[in-house]
Amino acid sequence: MPSGERIGLRGRVGAALGAVAGALAALPMRLLDGPMQACQRLIGAGRMPYVFLVPNFVVFGLFVFLPIAINIVFSVTGGPALFPSERPYVGAGQYAYLFDCGSYLDPNSCREDHFWRGVANTAKFVLFQVSAMVLFSLVTALVLNMKIRGRGFFRAVYFFPVLLSPVVVALIWKWILQRDGLLNAAITTLGGQKVLFFIDPSWAMFWAVFVSVWAHMGFYTLILLAGLQAIPADLYEAAEMDATPRWRVFRRITLPLLWPNMIVVIVLALIKGVQTFDEVFVLTGGGPGTATLMVVQYIYETAFANQVQNFGLAAAASVVLGLVLFLLTLAQLALARRKES
Amino acid sequence: MAELRLVGARKSFGPVDVLHGIDLAVQDGEFVVFVGPSGCGKSTLLRVIAGLETVTEGEVYIDGQRVTDRPASERDLAMVFQSYALYPHMSVRKNMAFALENMGLKSAEIDARVTRAATMLRLTDYLERRPKALSGGQRQRVAIGRAIVRDPKIFLFDEPLSNLDAELRVATRKELAALHAEIGGTMIYVTHDQVEAMTLADRIVVLRAGRIEQVGSPLELYNSPCNTFVAGFIGSPRMNLLPATVTGDDGTLRLNLAGRAIAVERPAAGLAPGKPVTLGIRPEHIVMAKADADLTLTVDLVEHLGGETFVYASAPGLPQITLRQDGQARLARGEVIGIRFDPPHLHFFDEAGATLARP
Repeated sequence: MPSGERIGLRGRVGAALGAVAGALAALPMRLLDGPMQACQRLIGAGRMPYVFLVPNFVVFGLFVFLPIAINIVFSVTGGPALFPSERPYVGAGQYAYLFDCGSYLDPNSCREDHFWRGVANTAKFVLFQVSAMVLFSLVTALVLNMKIRGRGFFRAVYFFPVLLSPVVVALIWKWILQRDGLLNAAITTLGGQKVLFFIDPSWAMFWAVFVSVWAHMGFYTLILLAGLQAIPADLYEAAEMDATPRWRVFRRITLPLLWPNMIVVIVLALIKGVQTFDEVFVLTGGGPGTATLMVVQYIYETAFANQVQNFGLAAAASVVLGLVLFLLTLAQLALARRKES
Repeated sequence: MAELRLVGARKSFGPVDVLHGIDLAVQDGEFVVFVGPSGCGKSTLLRVIAGLETVTEGEVYIDGQRVTDRPASERDLAMVFQSYALYPHMSVRKNMAFALENMGLKSAEIDARVTRAATMLRLTDYLERRPKALSGGQRQRVAIGRAIVRDPKIFLFDEPLSNLDAELRVATRKELAALHAEIGGTMIYVTHDQVEAMTLADRIVVLRAGRIEQVGSPLELYNSPCNTFVAGFIGSPRMNLLPATVTGDDGTLRLNLAGRAIAVERPAAGLAPGKPVTLGIRPEHIVMAKADADLTLTVDLVEHLGGETFVYASAPGLPQITLRQDGQARLARGEVIGIRFDPPHLHFFDEAGATLARP
């Protein structure tokens, strides 16, 4: 068959398939056309945008606002029952129980000491994790933004852990760090003594932070790299013409222009840090003892894992956690706006 | 202020040669304009001078000192970028003071220099504004101010007016010329706009494909272009370039212009009969003639600019010819006109496009 005819035939088949696909795509539109027109006649064209927002709003309401509302209801009720109608109203009782402390700096003085240990551990974890995350992401982004050999390969390598499930990440590192893991095998091969990383509280927290940074750094590096690439190259050339020392270029040009991306990284890392659960839970189980018990693990165990399931207390802790996150985000945004102005 | 010397400056990007051995000397206090079409290497040449690009071969001297291997930060030059390259997060004052802070000057000295430059450039009311709150022209002035405060050895301008609208471009051009007259520094300016080159330059360097075609004052280039490229590039509208064949050269140069014989009274140049030449004539050196016309043309288009009229006309076998007429010429499309060339202003180029020396 001559090529012209073959292309012609292929073209006709393609056109026919396109027409069928177009007709199929148009079908729901045609079906919706009548009701939409009726709706517009009923409420007027000005209100039609709200009609289009309704489906998303319903889904959002069902899966975000309703659970928040149910959680708040649970937090002001008590007892082991699951259905809100069967739960007695206790007012702020759950919150009072949570906050009943001799000193908030000493979890042992609190009635619900596990919650405060979780708060202290989470605060420590967030402080180190966010600082390390921002620092290492920034340094990595700066290096990956340079004209180095194999830049694309390294960008992929640093991003790869982001693609892994948190449970997989934790299991990988557990295999490496456990008593008979790879790291201890290497240490003993070199003549050293085995280190019980998950028995020593300081080592356990260190590795919890390390694994979290390793797993998520690629994502934040990507955000900062995008910010670095958005800084026009001629600004650096202008700075070079102005005989600006390298450190001053970084401090006076790179950092201020990267600030919006830094804010995004800090806010996201902070929120994700406070929410940390799965990685640390699989890696250390919150141990040794309660050395790496995070607030979210406390909420999970209080609500679902303990022998007595205390939904009300867990819900109250969730509300407190949500409020803390909300306030942190507001503070960060206010800071960003002040810096911007 | 300083002089600049380039010796055999060559620049390649991988297998692509961008500059092919540039030799150039710029005198102290001179305003030199690099001009040429896109991709001719003029911006690369400026960046080589600035130190933002290194030369593949050759040398760069500033004030007699070899600076070939010195980075931009050690050459004491200032550059005004096409995009202005103002630091967007800093006020105008901080933009202008930034380089001075790098130099370690005292704040009183910095303030004095910024104030002086701001006054000169009429920027005193905008010193606390950020670049995004300024118009294009004001940003341009800030960029120039940032260069001025440093009192550099040489000012480099990389197409600084190309982002401005036509009216602002003319105004800023005049300001630049006034500025050069006032501060008198050595300035090197890159543009693809030959009007900017003609109006600003003490000397113009015409570049094509990484090579210097001609260096000279604006009028030297206009009156005595060394080849058809320079002849066509300098002058607006461009010079008419018409292919012809020599039929005789015995005190009167006889030419065959697309089948029409024309005679030019001029001393013999020894052009052999049968030799192809290109005849060049600027639009203002063609006169309309009712009798004794060298050529008869049909008018294609008439552009009335008020004080002058451009007429675009054609004859079979020849490229379109442009005529400039003073005042408001009453001509219409399709009208047949006779033209005569002004012999002293005729240019002749050989087959390779090089100017044939005037006898």
